[in-house]
Amino acid sequence: MKDSESMAQLPLPEAGESRVIKLPLPAGAGPQPQVRTADQAAPAPRNRGKLWYALFLPQLATLSEPQQERILKHLAALMESVSSTVSFHPQALICEVRSSLRYFGGIEVIHDKLRSLITPALQDRGLPDYFLYAASPTVTGSLLLARSGQNLLVYRKENLRSALGQLPTEVLQLNKEQNRRLYNMGVRKIRDIWRLPTDGLHKRFGSDFIRLLNRALGSAAEPTHNYLPPPAFTTSCDLPYELENLDRLLPVADELLAQLCDFLRHRDLSASHLVFSLLHERREASEIDMALRQASRCRDHLLLLLETHFSNLSLPAPVTGVRLHIKQFDAFMSESESLLLEDKAAPTTSSSSLDQFMEQLQARLGGQTLKSINTIAEHCPEYASQELDYEQARKTRGTRKAGKIKAGSSRQDAAKQLTIVTRQQQLPSALVADNPRPLWLLDDPLELTRRGSRLYYRKPVSLISGPERIESCWWTGDEVNRDYYVAQESSGSRLWVYRERGGDRRWYLHGFFA
Amino acid sequence: MRLGPTAGAAYRQGLTGKRRTGLTANTKFSAQQDSGQTGARIGNRTTIPIEQLLHSNPKLWRGCDMAGQGSHGLSTGYPELDEILPGRGWPRNGLVEVISKQWGMGELQLLLPLMRSVIAQGKWVLWISPPHQLYAPALVQAGIDIEQVLVVKADTSCRDALWSMEKALQSGSCGLVLAWQNWLPGRVLRRLQLAGETGDTLGVLFKHNVSNHSPSPLRMEIKSSCEKDSAFSDAEVAVLKARGNFRPLSTRLDLYPCFGPDFRPALQAKSEPQPGLYAHI
Repeated sequence: MKDSESMAQLPLPEAGESRVIKLPLPAGAGPQPQVRTADQAAPAPRNRGKLWYALFLPQLATLSEPQQERILKHLAALMESVSSTVSFHPQALICEVRSSLRYFGGIEVIHDKLRSLITPALQDRGLPDYFLYAASPTVTGSLLLARSGQNLLVYRKENLRSALGQLPTEVLQLNKEQNRRLYNMGVRKIRDIWRLPTDGLHKRFGSDFIRLLNRALGSAAEPTHNYLPPPAFTTSCDLPYELENLDRLLPVADELLAQLCDFLRHRDLSASHLVFSLLHERREASEIDMALRQASRCRDHLLLLLETHFSNLSLPAPVTGVRLHIKQFDAFMSESESLLLEDKAAPTTSSSSLDQFMEQLQARLGGQTLKSINTIAEHCPEYASQELDYEQARKTRGTRKAGKIKAGSSRQDAAKQLTIVTRQQQLPSALVADNPRPLWLLDDPLELTRRGSRLYYRKPVSLISGPERIESCWWTGDEVNRDYYVAQESSGSRLWVYRERGGDRRWYLHGFFA
Repeated sequence: MRLGPTAGAAYRQGLTGKRRTGLTANTKFSAQQDSGQTGARIGNRTTIPIEQLLHSNPKLWRGCDMAGQGSHGLSTGYPELDEILPGRGWPRNGLVEVISKQWGMGELQLLLPLMRSVIAQGKWVLWISPPHQLYAPALVQAGIDIEQVLVVKADTSCRDALWSMEKALQSGSCGLVLAWQNWLPGRVLRRLQLAGETGDTLGVLFKHNVSNHSPSPLRMEIKSSCEKDSAFSDAEVAVLKARGNFRPLSTRLDLYPCFGPDFRPALQAKSEPQPGLYAHI
């Protein structure tokens, strides 16, 4: 407490009380709202350094790294409202507030605003809602001050040395060995370190230690890891006149897509979920929701997709404007090209071109039409084959592939591998019946007529081989109890027929050996 | 008659030889000259058949001769069928029509070897609106990786099905496109054929009716074998039209290797009347 003019010590939060103590500022510490008369010349703008406001959250220490990162990212987004520069530090966020002091009318207002934002955010996540803070002209200085829990505001660089000097050495967060060495040397506070010769310290504690102290005093450069807000893209265009023909809309859409592609190229991104809205007069906009199979920033491909969607769309009203919004971005993955020209000659169908084609197909036919098939280990013939939605099948396939790559790593994965193995068993060849099965299966078995001693489908049917007895599904109440035969119609087609073993013992056609 | 480059050369040779006759006259002439040399040995000029002489000249291409065309096609997996197809197999791209009067004649069996080779190359097989449910266990039995199989549901409208087929053929991202459509006008077939050529993809169209005028380069029909001794798995495959061949050919194939060689004996053993099972038939 040497300079009460520009430095203030705040009481620490008491044990039972988890409130943030308001930062009382000495008079004249921050820029006061000034009233200037006309004849009074405006003061020449002083080239003042930066002022860093540090926010330290000791309660994050109990959480895992990714959780910490997520919370810090969330808080950083909130801090963006007072500062354009927010940087990440372990358990702490530091923002530059000098540039926004005048706008908000003092650091007190900024602090109140931040507290009102951050306290509810911490409460939402079930964390203790207090935080430690400090402000000083250097990033490291602010961080050390905040860690000490003394809630200090140091306004001038000259006063930083004395303010930091009284902090205990624990705030430096050194390792155990270094702490022990400092303790043995009789160093308790940071000011004791400054009394020691630099070259000796350098020899004993390394250059990082010296750099940390220099940074705290502002005599070394301080690189920061800044928060970047997630990308957002929305663009719209009002049409000069109403349009009813969607084909005439394509040039406008192309223009918007061109803007999008520029945006994506500059940020090295690609879009994976787009929403294209057609605005109508006094009516809800009709939306085209395009979730891409593979993130893309190819203008031609996006336009082609849009065109396909247009062909399915019926307009409820004339279009007065269009809007393009990106719901989801993805990193851009480019394909590497081969160095040698000869390799290009061999055309290989890349998975991306297939994906683009599938996307186009789904856009036109709708999501449910594209199917992938799979086998199930099941005796009852109609349940042994399964149709999956292509998307769904693709996902399970993806996890299976990932599992194969992972195989044989840590013990943690053992459980995962087990599920993968069972899944693989479900797959091909292993659990398919040995007897021949037809390629076409009728959804509903067709009853065959019997005239005298002969069976008829369209023409007389004669049995070729069999029977293969299948008894299953008695537990469902819909019992399957059949004898299957391979049969041939007199016209030549090969049939798969069965006879019910219960009831009227009727004959049914169940498939074609196509 | 189509004249290949070598036939043309032979024709020009004939002209320089002051014999202003057609190709046949010219070949006859050279044949007589040749037989003049060989005939001196055997003493009879007319016994050497002209077919044999034509065959022995590798520079001569004849439209009805399949053997001399090299093998630029995709093997069908059935040697007997390869023998009668131009290029010794399926064309590499374009449209193939497979006609059968009803399903279950072995029309898919005919294509299974091709599907296997397409899938082995890592390409996809797209089935557009098949008439019945595609049964996965049967595909697995046939050795097809069902992960590479995609089905467009049967209830898709004809318009959408044709659109999908055209796009699939054009994009070149699928290895093989199978579709089931009867009664397509020649204009549509022509469009599909062009799409297949653009994307270098083979499309197969399954149908019931025989259309005489179609632009597809290969049209074949599967019939049941009419001979008495034919086995259950035998079928007759007739090539109705093949580009590069103007003579209808047909062959008999064993289309159902899945039933195995011991299939027929099994049925003979069973065909003895068994009380309760076969007595009513």
